Amino acid sequence: MSSIATTRIQRELKDIKESNNQSIKIELKSDEFNNLRGEIVGPSGTPYQDGMYKLSIKIPETYPFNPPIVSFDTRIWHPNISSVTGAICLDILKDQWAAALTLRTVLLSLQALLSAAEPDDPQDAVVAKQYKDNQKAFVKTARFWAQYYANAPGPRDTDCVEKLRKASEMGFYKDISLQALSTHSWDLENAIQYLTSC
Amino acid sequence: MSEEDSRSSEDETSEDEDINDYYNNNEDDFIDNSDVERGQDGEEIMTSDYYSSNEYIRKRMQELEYYDYQCLTGTEVEEKLAKDTETTAELLNISPPLAQLVLLANKWKITAINTRLKLSPVERGKLLVESGVIAVLPSHFKHRTEHKKLSLKSAVSCGVCFDVFPVSDVTSLSCKHMFCRQCWTQHIDFTVKEGMNAGIPCMENDCSVLCPIDFVEQFLKGDSARLYRDHLFRISVTTHYRCRFCPGVDCPVVLFAETPKPRRVTCKRCKMSCCFECGNEYHVPTDCETIKKWLVKCADDSETANYISANTKDCPACHICIEKNGGCNHIQCSKCKHNFCWMCLGDWKAHGNSYYECSKYKENPTMTNSSQQTQAREALKKYLFYFHRWENHSQSLRLESNARLKIQSQIEEKMNRSEGTWIDWQYLLRAGELLAKCRNTLHYTYPLAYYAGGGSEKALFEYQQAQLEVEIEGLAWKLEHAGEYQRGEVENQMDVCEKRTQTLLARFVAN
Ligand SMILES: [Zn+2]
Ligand SMILES: [Zn+2]
Ligand SMILES: [Zn+2]
Ligand SMILES: [Zn+2]
Ligand SMILES: [Zn+2]
Ligand SMILES: [Zn+2]
Ligand SMILES: [Zn+2]
Repeated sequence: MSSIATTRIQRELKDIKESNNQSIKIELKSDEFNNLRGEIVGPSGTPYQDGMYKLSIKIPETYPFNPPIVSFDTRIWHPNISSVTGAICLDILKDQWAAALTLRTVLLSLQALLSAAEPDDPQDAVVAKQYKDNQKAFVKTARFWAQYYANAPGPRDTDCVEKLRKASEMGFYKDISLQALSTHSWDLENAIQYLTSC
Repeated sequence: MSEEDSRSSEDETSEDEDINDYYNNNEDDFIDNSDVERGQDGEEIMTSDYYSSNEYIRKRMQELEYYDYQCLTGTEVEEKLAKDTETTAELLNISPPLAQLVLLANKWKITAINTRLKLSPVERGKLLVESGVIAVLPSHFKHRTEHKKLSLKSAVSCGVCFDVFPVSDVTSLSCKHMFCRQCWTQHIDFTVKEGMNAGIPCMENDCSVLCPIDFVEQFLKGDSARLYRDHLFRISVTTHYRCRFCPGVDCPVVLFAETPKPRRVTCKRCKMSCCFECGNEYHVPTDCETIKKWLVKCADDSETANYISANTKDCPACHICIEKNGGCNHIQCSKCKHNFCWMCLGDWKAHGNSYYECSKYKENPTMTNSSQQTQAREALKKYLFYFHRWENHSQSLRLESNARLKIQSQIEEKMNRSEGTWIDWQYLLRAGELLAKCRNTLHYTYPLAYYAGGGSEKALFEYQQAQLEVEIEGLAWKLEHAGEYQRGEVENQMDVCEKRTQTLLARFVAN
């Protein structure tokens, strides 16, 4: 790893510690500076509120002249993040990256993305379509995922809990059932039909 | 001037007479003698007006086939670019490297830049901001005071490596975003090595200022410097509205036209040709926008359409499997001698007259009230209809391009049997060339038809397309069965094909 990348990461870690922002965290995964773990708290006023989202951050050899490679480890229901792989569609992680940007600004930008989705530039087409066509189902799903995967507090939607239980009683894995129900906006019959056909 | 043009102007009068004779002798067959024909459903189609007159057709064909362009070497292009840069630098009163940024951002259109400057005094500033020369308009340049403070400091921190440097070791573009020399070097070096598809930007977030060539070159040495020059040249040519790289693989020629138009240009070095305007294969009568849309659609839908590109089909009469190895779409079954059409599998008899409808897609009139799913299925059916024909003609073009060698060996055989001389059989080679040219036009009528609106213009277009298709298949058939036809018959067929092609092009190529 180039010396500039290493010293940059060291300084950035120190700055984040000193900044005292409780809602973002970055730490080393091992002794290597090219593999980091990040964490952001879901912003208030969104379905993701108080969820804890773990991120995987890979630092390329050419950092900071090229962007870090960031993805969600915690599963999330959001138009610009793949509900399956956690891949993120965000301009500053692609062509709008600038060497003067930092991991801290990346994490803050991700929090901003959770507050304001951009459904016209989707990473997950299914989620984006639901976001546009059926806001109610979207909010319900995103909130349930936040509680189910990101430990967001609060009582869970009984309709979701009930349908997920029914699907898993039929012998389907919970993760796969949840994905199918979410994709079909909690229409149990359509979700089961989809599950049995594949 | 191309070879064909010089030939036609030499014996213009004699050829004119030939064509006129042809018209007079083929009253039933040709469109120009009756004003109205009936298409499918008995709708009337006007076939004779000024736009189908010989005079208009000749004028349009002249415009389409004679196009002024040059084939330039890299050095010749460099000279032109340098001259453009000088002119623009004077015009804007800035250094040539900065002028180059303005040109790159404006397709090298000096006249357009000049027009904008004359519009209003604020345009110059706007132009410089848009081109990445400066960050914000000078009137609200907020960094100015900051900059003054900076010059009083003795040390600054670099915004990329976070190290602290003496003021002499940091530098910036016009935006005054300071970074150390080591970081600039790495940033520029990485950008150049990664292929560089546009200018090299400042390293600050949200800053749109670009590095001019003199700034870049102070940080580069050896291979990287050479690579940078290559990239810059490539970007200059690709952005220049008067330049286009030759489409030939590894051909260094740059095609240059004073007046860019969608016309056929052919490289004098490697003989590859393309449309000057868009760089695709020459595509009349379809326009550049439409062909781009069509090619993207075909690429996106390639899987759905894959199954139809196979080159074997069953004979509709006796069901024996037939492999197509010629370009002609008029197929005669080798077993039962049934004559049928490769594209629609219909009887060929129905294809030989003016009610030929194989090339025309029949829209389902009751569609507007149907479900979304039915409409989607209908849309796919319509697309596949045109795609099928598009693919089929492109396959025919490939097969017929191999035919040249076959014709040559046929001629040699005939000569060995003392049947005439080389000159006597030349018409077969000319027929092959004409067939390729006409079929190329026919090939490109399908995207246009797919996107065409309704109305009488579309009816006339489909009518002429069908006419052209019949005659082209006629020529292909006569050429594949050359032994059975007299020279006069083939040459008549060539005349008809050429005339039909020209009639369609003159009428439907966008002016
Ligand atoms: Zn630096
Ligand atoms: Zn800048
Ligand atoms: Zn060439
Ligand atoms: Zn074109
Ligand atoms: Zn044919
Ligand atoms: Zn047969
Ligand atoms: Zn047919």
